[in-house]
Amino acid sequence: MIYAIRTLVGQEKNVARIIARNVKNSGIEVNSILVPESLRGYILVESSTKIDMQNPAFKVPHMKGVIDGEIPFEEVKTFLNPEPILASIQKGSIVELISGPFKGEKAKVVRIDESKENVVLELIEAAVPIPVTVKGDQIRLIQKEAD
Amino acid sequence: MVIKACTRCHRLMEEERCAICNIPSSKNWSGFLIIVDPENSDIAKELNISLPGEYALRVR
Repeated sequence: MIYAIRTLVGQEKNVARIIARNVKNSGIEVNSILVPESLRGYILVESSTKIDMQNPAFKVPHMKGVIDGEIPFEEVKTFLNPEPILASIQKGSIVELISGPFKGEKAKVVRIDESKENVVLELIEAAVPIPVTVKGDQIRLIQKEAD
Repeated sequence: MVIKACTRCHRLMEEERCAICNIPSSKNWSGFLIIVDPENSDIAKELNISLPGEYALRVR
């Protein structure tokens, strides 16, 4: 059985580590704790029995409570094999920068370095086309291929 | 303290080399998984993990 626990955003790993340490001595059967990168503010706890939130082992700072109901294992599988960020992006795609100094700017993909997960972009609104290299997780796809 | 991940078994560690696989570890990893009881865990079975510990989901 897999349950979702709500945590403070940014504290997912700390909450997971504390729960893992607490359950070792408490007799609660927690088999694994998953912190999916794409699911901010939640951790997934796999347990053989129903989680008793009243147990002192779950008195953890930054934890906001458990979500009612189980999560089917099929849904959890999608988090276990995260798809590479650059899989959907190709040369000529229009993307938006979501972090860094050019945040909010639109750009066209010039080159993709898959091994380093870097992309070389050309800002659309710049007067002179300057190639900018950014990490693959700093961009969001807007349009698959330019006209 | 930089946490690194083994590129083969995805185990998280601070050392330069994985103690089990004896290959260099990578700083570039994402996703976080703690396996407490690998024998009863479906997630551990899905990922072929047989030792308890902390793991990354993706290592480059």
